[in-house]
Amino acid sequence: MIRAFQGSLAALLVAAACFGQSLAEFEKRVTEFTLENGMHFIVLKRDPAPVVSFYAYVDAGAVNDPRGKTGLAHMFEHMVGKGTTRVGTTDWAREQEALEEVERIYDRIEEERRKGPRADRARLEELETRLRAAIEQANAFVKPNEFVRLFEANGAVGFNAGTGSDYTVYFCSMPSNRLELWFLLISEWMRRPVYREFYKERDVVREERRMRVESSPQGKLQEVLMATAFLAHPYRILVGWASDIENLRARDAAEFHRTYYVPRNITIAIAGDVDAADVKRLAERYFGRIPPGPQPPRVITEEPPQEGERRVVVESPAQPILLIAYKRPDQRHADDPVLDVLAGLLASGRTGLLYKELVRDKRIALAAGAVPAVPAAKYPSLFLIYSVPNVDHTVEENEKAVYEILERLKREPVEETALARVKTKIRADLIRQLASNAGLARQLAFYHVNYGDWRKLFTGIEEIERVTAADVQRVARQYLNPKTRTVAHHVKPAAGTGEEWR
Amino acid sequence: MKSGLLLALLLAASSLVPAQDVPAVDELRFPPLKQVEIPKIETYTLPNGMRLYLMENRELPLIGGFALVRTGNLFDPPDKIGLASLTGDVLRTGGTTQKTGDEIDEQLENLAASVESGIGETSGTVSFNSLRQDVDEVLSVFKDLLTAPAFRQDKLDLAKTQYRSLIARRNDDAGSIAAREFSEIIYGRDNPYGWRMEYEHLERISREDLVAFHRRYFFPANILLAVQGDFSAAEMRAKIEKLFADWQVRQPPVPPFPEVRARPAPGVYLAEKQDVNQTFFRIGHLGGLLRDPDFPALEVMADILGGGFSSRLFAKVRTQLGYAYSVGAAWGANYNHPGLFRISGSTRSEATTETIRAILEEIERLRSSEVSDEELKTAQDTVLNSFVFNFDQPAKTLNRVVLYDYYGYPKDFIFKYQSAVAAVTKKDILRVAQKYLRPQELTIVAVGKPSDFGTPLAELKLPVHKIDLTIPEPKRQAARADALSLARGKQLLERAQQAVGGADKLGAVKDLWISSEIVLLGAGGGMRIEQTSRWLAPSTIRQDQQLPFGRMSSYSDGQTGWLATPQGVQPMPAPVLRQARSALLRLLPSLLASDRFPDRQVNLVGEGLLEIQDGSGESVRLKIDAATGLPAALSYAATQAGGPPATAEETLEDWREVEGLKMPFKITIRRDGAPYAEVTVREIRLNTGVTSEELSRKP
Repeated sequence: MIRAFQGSLAALLVAAACFGQSLAEFEKRVTEFTLENGMHFIVLKRDPAPVVSFYAYVDAGAVNDPRGKTGLAHMFEHMVGKGTTRVGTTDWAREQEALEEVERIYDRIEEERRKGPRADRARLEELETRLRAAIEQANAFVKPNEFVRLFEANGAVGFNAGTGSDYTVYFCSMPSNRLELWFLLISEWMRRPVYREFYKERDVVREERRMRVESSPQGKLQEVLMATAFLAHPYRILVGWASDIENLRARDAAEFHRTYYVPRNITIAIAGDVDAADVKRLAERYFGRIPPGPQPPRVITEEPPQEGERRVVVESPAQPILLIAYKRPDQRHADDPVLDVLAGLLASGRTGLLYKELVRDKRIALAAGAVPAVPAAKYPSLFLIYSVPNVDHTVEENEKAVYEILERLKREPVEETALARVKTKIRADLIRQLASNAGLARQLAFYHVNYGDWRKLFTGIEEIERVTAADVQRVARQYLNPKTRTVAHHVKPAAGTGEEWR
Repeated sequence: MKSGLLLALLLAASSLVPAQDVPAVDELRFPPLKQVEIPKIETYTLPNGMRLYLMENRELPLIGGFALVRTGNLFDPPDKIGLASLTGDVLRTGGTTQKTGDEIDEQLENLAASVESGIGETSGTVSFNSLRQDVDEVLSVFKDLLTAPAFRQDKLDLAKTQYRSLIARRNDDAGSIAAREFSEIIYGRDNPYGWRMEYEHLERISREDLVAFHRRYFFPANILLAVQGDFSAAEMRAKIEKLFADWQVRQPPVPPFPEVRARPAPGVYLAEKQDVNQTFFRIGHLGGLLRDPDFPALEVMADILGGGFSSRLFAKVRTQLGYAYSVGAAWGANYNHPGLFRISGSTRSEATTETIRAILEEIERLRSSEVSDEELKTAQDTVLNSFVFNFDQPAKTLNRVVLYDYYGYPKDFIFKYQSAVAAVTKKDILRVAQKYLRPQELTIVAVGKPSDFGTPLAELKLPVHKIDLTIPEPKRQAARADALSLARGKQLLERAQQAVGGADKLGAVKDLWISSEIVLLGAGGGMRIEQTSRWLAPSTIRQDQQLPFGRMSSYSDGQTGWLATPQGVQPMPAPVLRQARSALLRLLPSLLASDRFPDRQVNLVGEGLLEIQDGSGESVRLKIDAATGLPAALSYAATQAGGPPATAEETLEDWREVEGLKMPFKITIRRDGAPYAEVTVREIRLNTGVTSEELSRKP
């Protein structure tokens, strides 16, 4: 059964009416339907050029990584480049046998390793040699990167995927006459991914962690902040711990796919020069083949209340960065729009309070800002403030200046002009997003999954509009509370390493 | 048992092969792509000489545009590098004669509008964006900023503070170090393409420089103005013409940009960074111009080598070897000067040399045999099938047309490129690879931790040069010295000499032995160090430290030196050597005898304040206590590994007599105003007869 929606959103757009007819027009171009297996599609017709953008949003991310297998959602995401049973192989039947042999040897290695100190080293070494040989054998059937090559050769741009805490997304744009190619390849892959070159790709994912976290002063600091602010909730780790990544198995990825990549957990937004009826036909033909699956589990672990400030430092020879994070409720909470406005007041453009005071007037920071929800907001998360101290100015000085601003926000209501300015900016930012297929597809999918309706993209503006200075003050008092604060910053490595003369 | 079951399930699931009810990829047939509509652009020359480009785009109620100005940081004076960038930034923040930049911030943001400015390598831009209803007000701000910026001093000071922080932070990210050093080494550090801004340049740049820079380059005949959005072209043209009617400034034409005169810089260039476990690399040499007839073939070649997920480098280094997450290649071509052919990426430290070797092999392979039919077709299809994305947003067409005019390219350049790519053959690729890729000229920049490299870089059999990442300190503005201040300086120094025991007593000190306890404060958090320092006149110094994790010794004769740690002995790195020289200058008996060193200058720079500078430019300020004549405090710039210099201040207390010479036994050190260390001296001995051989003996 396909539930189609077409209707007018005019009533909901009152707040944005001052922007003229464009937004009301917009809604008439959206078609929405759900396949029998539960997969949801949102199609936006927009045709200044014969191109189309795809955004497949899987409602599962790093928070769904099992214990001891952090990095798994991300590892699975990387398999999108590896192709299908028909694309990327010279002989799937034989390749499959070779891959099974790899798994069998790996099982025996794990069994031996589990003996811990009693493990037989010589045997392990022999098995590891056999594993390498088996992997090479399986590789003999691989047509490397064939799946992505097909996209690129057919004119796809921006083909990529991403794993966040809450989601995994797959996206690209294509010339609109290639519509069916996308349906064929992505549906084949989502239906039956293959774990081709899994252990080579695991090395690549390990490199990604080295690049983004271990070799990046900022990446390290962010990771430590999250792991400190969250004791229990899986928001505490995104990329995955090194040792977990190094031990992920193809079997784990397959299990993750079986659990979370069920049609009802996937939303696909398509924006561009397409006909909704064509899309519906292709969606049924290609994605309709995927059997329905049970509703994936939600994260059960809740973060226990924070009972006092947490502070953590990371030693680094780099110039310091300061991160200050407060606990905040999830995105469905009534205070969500107020927190957006609060972040806007602190960090919007050249008139945000952090820029004005820390960067412009006191000149103690190179940059300073605020992010309303880190790392995401499906679950209660963090309201983050950051500052990058100027040379000759300390982290302590910056931290103090930030608190002065926050205390003022708690003490007195914000000026009406500042509040109006932030609201205007949020509205205008929305309009500016409407000019890009890729941006639109992303927003439509995100709002559908996270708020239950893509229209929230527009109706959210109404909620922003209703925020008062008193709301901002109340929310500042409630959430910007030292007791639920986590502070992280760099410090210079302890001196006395022989490189300091005195 | 459980794992076996799961495996069985997994295998069972993937071996179910249902009848294929959907076509294979090569069975798909695509309809022809709809003709892309190329937006109409109208161009005019205004009476004052400014070129105007207008493009109607009625999709959203927005209007935006930009002025493209023929200028660039290639015109920076060699002693004021950063002038163009500062001009570009402060043009906006410094406001106009009527309004401060801060007032403009509020005015624009109340309208959800923006005006921004910047000057890059070969152009400057001032851009605006506005809701349709506010366009008159926003255009007026845009015009005032473009034509009559005020460059207020406070905003120049702010920008300089920011730029100083950028300099201080430039060695924090290994990837950007690699990109920067690669570019500077190939273009050469002695010319505008490869030189870089330092603290000393910023100190020289004044508001007058910005005003003059703006005056020289911002005049109507030197500007292309492009506007697009929800308007009628005729009305917008009239509006713009009226708005700029009173701007009639004339200037001689701007000279051409300087030529690139790069010499090949082959070899490996290594920048050491201790806080990474990956090596960030760049490999390449000078590239070419977009207008070169071989540019399309070179683009296809670079795409095959390292253009995307299906390229050779990606397949080899990432997919096959698993050495890198990121690796890619680009044939660097610019509009008006040669770009950089470059291969870039990062790999775990252990695999550094193997990764570079694998890349060099891929370059060789490209030069020694033709690419496959499939590779060529994929690369061509990638360009040709995605060609429509050059037109998916009307603004892209407008930007392109303006840039082509700016750099003197034909209007149909992109279509010529399209047909040239379609015509490229395998022979062409081999020919351009052999002609333009020059393995013997490759510059290889690696930023990482060499002690973790599995195979040393030397195995590449190429010369390895070290890159010094030290950030040059601003030469401290030595206070003006004249005969009077020098004479007064000498007087005050003599008073201090008297106070500690007399010039003769100081002159008789040939060596010094000091035992002390140092407690680190602040970030170091209470660490205790037992230290013995020894000095032998004139310039040999050694310190031995007992730390919680082992013994450390360091030695320097002012020219060279070594460090000994539990991990072994290594030559003293350049930044530490500088610290050693600074420590030698500060050594109290030697500092107070500065009038005996011909290369030192002692100058009175304030009430009771001496500045002592040596021949290498190191300097120390010494505060003399008015009541006792004893040195009360000294301050100096302390070099920190990988960071900007800190201002160190030492308070000298607890003066006690040692064999007739007064010395401080308690020293409190602050850095940048924050507590840093406390030193308690246990014992001082003079003239122990130590020899230089003893001091230089490694542990």
